[in-house]
Amino acid sequence: MSEQTYDPEKGYVALLGWSLNAVEAADKFDRRYVVVAPDWAEAYCEEHDIPYVPWNFERLNDRSVEIAQTLKDMGVDVAIPLFEETVEWAGAINSVLMDKPRLFGQAMLLRDKALMKRRAQLGGIRVGIFEEAHDKGDVIRFLKRVNQTLLKLDGDPNDPIHLKAFDKAGCLGHRVIRTPDEVDTIPEEEFPVLMESHLDGWEFAVEAWIHNGKIAFLNISEYVTLGYSVFVPATPDLEKYRDQIRGEIEKLIKTFDIEFGFIHPEYFVTSDRTMYFGEVAYRPPGFKVFELLERAYGFNAYQGMIMAFDPKTTEEEIQAFFPREVVDAKGYAGCFGVYPRRRVVSKLEVPEETENHEYFESHELTPPLEETVTKRTAFGTHWGLVYFFGEDPYVMRDLLKHQEDLDFYV
Amino acid sequence: MNDRQPGSEVPAVNFDKLVQRLDDAIQALEESRSFAKTGKLPRVLDIARRVLLQPDGCRVIEERAERLERAGVFDGTDWAEPGILLPTLTTFALQSQNADTVVIEAFSELRLLSVARGNYLHTSVSAEQSHHYLTQALAINLGLLFGMTGEAEREQGKLALISQSVVQYIAQHIGYEHVIDRLIEEIWRILEQRPIQVTDVRRMITQIALCRADSQADLGSAGRGADRLISSLYGPTRACSEDPGTVVYEQRLETMDAQALQNEATGFARSMHDTGLVSPYHASFIRFILADQDTLLSEALGLSSTGRDCLLCYRELVRTLIEEGIYPETAQGIYGLALLLERGILYQPPVAPALWRQARLSLCSQARERLELAYGYQPQPGAWLIQGVLTMLGQPLGVGQGNNPTCQAARALSMWAYNDPDYLLQMVAWAARDNEIVMHFEGQPVSSAKSVGGVASEVAFDLDPVSLVVVPHLDRIYAEMGRQCAERGGDPHQWVNPEFHGWSAGRGFAINVDVATGNLNDLEGFVRYFYASYHPYYNGNQPLIHPQPAGIAVTDSAARFIGWHAITILRVALDPDGEMRVYFFNPNNDSGQNWGDGVKVSTSGYGERFGESSLLFEQFTSRLYIFHYDPLERGEPAEVNEDALLSVTEGVYRSWGRDRLPADTFQAEPPRTE
Repeated sequence: MSEQTYDPEKGYVALLGWSLNAVEAADKFDRRYVVVAPDWAEAYCEEHDIPYVPWNFERLNDRSVEIAQTLKDMGVDVAIPLFEETVEWAGAINSVLMDKPRLFGQAMLLRDKALMKRRAQLGGIRVGIFEEAHDKGDVIRFLKRVNQTLLKLDGDPNDPIHLKAFDKAGCLGHRVIRTPDEVDTIPEEEFPVLMESHLDGWEFAVEAWIHNGKIAFLNISEYVTLGYSVFVPATPDLEKYRDQIRGEIEKLIKTFDIEFGFIHPEYFVTSDRTMYFGEVAYRPPGFKVFELLERAYGFNAYQGMIMAFDPKTTEEEIQAFFPREVVDAKGYAGCFGVYPRRRVVSKLEVPEETENHEYFESHELTPPLEETVTKRTAFGTHWGLVYFFGEDPYVMRDLLKHQEDLDFYV
Repeated sequence: MNDRQPGSEVPAVNFDKLVQRLDDAIQALEESRSFAKTGKLPRVLDIARRVLLQPDGCRVIEERAERLERAGVFDGTDWAEPGILLPTLTTFALQSQNADTVVIEAFSELRLLSVARGNYLHTSVSAEQSHHYLTQALAINLGLLFGMTGEAEREQGKLALISQSVVQYIAQHIGYEHVIDRLIEEIWRILEQRPIQVTDVRRMITQIALCRADSQADLGSAGRGADRLISSLYGPTRACSEDPGTVVYEQRLETMDAQALQNEATGFARSMHDTGLVSPYHASFIRFILADQDTLLSEALGLSSTGRDCLLCYRELVRTLIEEGIYPETAQGIYGLALLLERGILYQPPVAPALWRQARLSLCSQARERLELAYGYQPQPGAWLIQGVLTMLGQPLGVGQGNNPTCQAARALSMWAYNDPDYLLQMVAWAARDNEIVMHFEGQPVSSAKSVGGVASEVAFDLDPVSLVVVPHLDRIYAEMGRQCAERGGDPHQWVNPEFHGWSAGRGFAINVDVATGNLNDLEGFVRYFYASYHPYYNGNQPLIHPQPAGIAVTDSAARFIGWHAITILRVALDPDGEMRVYFFNPNNDSGQNWGDGVKVSTSGYGERFGESSLLFEQFTSRLYIFHYDPLERGEPAEVNEDALLSVTEGVYRSWGRDRLPADTFQAEPPRTE
């Protein structure tokens, strides 16, 4: 049951997309909220008395203004995107609610990886070499050109290139291509895609809450292995770049003209301390980073997001809500995405050394539904997360790395 | 980069930290909105599972029982209403392979313990009720209590440790004395079915004996009824009443006079026929008198005139079987031998020569190995097999499938032992000597050595010696026969059952389930034909001649469908109350089951012979889905009266047939006649 008591003086927010953790965070918070989600969520919301407006987030169309108008009539102040697919909806809706047409254009920029890179480049942010590909020929050309640029001779092993869908979250559709032969494995329907040169560096992600164009809280998430594991806060090895990273984020805020909300960019830092911008998302990160933040710092990241979006939030509230970065963390929280290492598995068996480890918290793994494991394409989806929490960032890092060598499904 | 190398393995569990994690997880659940609790629950259950695996885990959970319940761990489940919980279901939950089920069950039982101990004032269940419930639950899970683990626990892996420690923790706090009387009743109930496999029963009796001998345990008046059970194993006669050990006992025998030996003989026989259990001293005694007092043998076996007659006719054979097969370890074979003689089957011409072959049979290495793995090296595997043959022929209805999905093979063994003993002996010889059994399926040979896999991926060792050797072969043949008719539409039992069990299984086949859809199919016709074939009032008062395989839709105590099960219909007759009953053999290890909706399988008290199960004819028919008949004697569908028919069909609709009504003829009730 919703047991919310909200403060009518504060803003009224709409959550775009269904996320139980976000709904619960909103329900426990002091802002009035409404969930905007596809109609399959209706029965659940009705049963539990959760404020709800049905909407199917397909492509933007002529009817899109309907939902903006509905929310406006309800008195909603701002729409908050919870998923990549709802980012442009939030932009469109907020441009109506706040009467700022610019917000829609901004959202479109944040939804298209090619446009986003170009905009970043215009803002003076360093990015790798990138290009759009419309067919396989484009990919082969780009692969050759990148390697030519790197002064490779025929027969030298190629530097790989990365292919990503324009508008999908995280690792979805992410492929690594090294040889022209591999290009044939890309299905036609994945085009057009964005191609990027490979950056040999340390990849990490940032979560930044923005209020009045300023950073309210900045977290650095350290990837142990991309697509496998992440933990917060980062090790001192990465945290030492914090000031430089803050500078980069401020550049990003300026370039994309972001006044409020939450961003989740990814960067590379190379051995000579140069930061390369990868991409940025205007929504909560995957891999349950919000949950990890709550475990490490004790504040609810979704509630932080609601505050950062709410136009009625005051500076004092922001000050009081967010803890001090790094120093206020009670420990390090990390998680590992399990992918079966064997081709055929019959049951889930958490390795004893993991289960008995002092840092081990819990897992969300479920018994296998089928015995044959499909081959992992590029950075395919994991089977579930394993959570850890402890005091030493290096123990955490090595522990997460070590999980890659263990069998959770046998 | 930091170059520290922290160790990757931290072996010991930090219990305090783990408990702290549990408290955090419970707190998160407590603070969660009701609509989001399901998301917080997995963490609580997983951490609690790890807590329960630790030595002090049960105490930690019990202390938090009230908090856990208030936080909502039981919300939306049957456990939320402790008043409706059934102790019998605890076994399934505790043996589940699903960790969450085991942990929730542990929560629930430890919560009731907390209530029973007065630490938790529950709104819907009292301390007395909780106490009563837990006593029953303990009695039902005695196996866990005494660390008797079977295949179910092996499948469960580490989870079994949780189930065991919960049950043992509860017993410690409720007190063993509350359990022992129930345990004794339970043992008697099982013994009334005269199972061949009595290892578990022996272990339970040993546990009671140990409890009674322990001065720490205050049993009060409990456990008095165990005297006969304990003495049947450890001191059935005067000369061994204080359990002196076989060496001392054998010395005593040397000095006894004829009268004393006579007393010993009758003492052993009385105890054996009373309980169905045989003391190792009994074997020592019999081996002793065999030397030059074998006139006492008839007395020591407790034979009636029939058995004595048989013994006198086949004296040398019996002597050889005893010499080869009866040792203190295999003493149980004495009971089998006695009943075998009583059955008079030695008068069937092929049986005695087949037993001579058995006595001298050389075993192949595979059979030898299986027997040694299950029973040890002393005595020889051949002796165990003789013991197995004697018990199976003496107690054909005592066959159990153990914890194996091989009810068909167990049923076949029982049927042959009952009906076709020399064929059974042939099977044993083939399996034990040649490691291959060949049967024929519609003219084509089917070899157990050439068939790939059976129904059971691996046949466990919790079986009697004959099953241990023969079942793996039968199981493969059965599965192979199934594969040979996999292409055909319809239920494969139709072709497999008669070919597998032998000529006496009826070639006619009736089934009331449409195999393709799983829906009921012509239930009324099925019932009428079953009455016409089996019910003496409708088949011209013809008693059943050969035991017939049949298929049962087994339901649980809430009448919910569990699965299909193979049984044998043995006879249909009036019970002492004048009601028509079906007496059948269930290869399950314990046949006293509650199938729900008032259908309780009886194993004694309604004219059952040892090992038989029985149900009223109508109740039995309401769980039947397959039967065989002789196509030449089918007769006309019986004019069963509407009341009986209605009672059967409604019984089906209320239980396993609930979701099987064909869509086009959906009807809550069959049409009533004016």
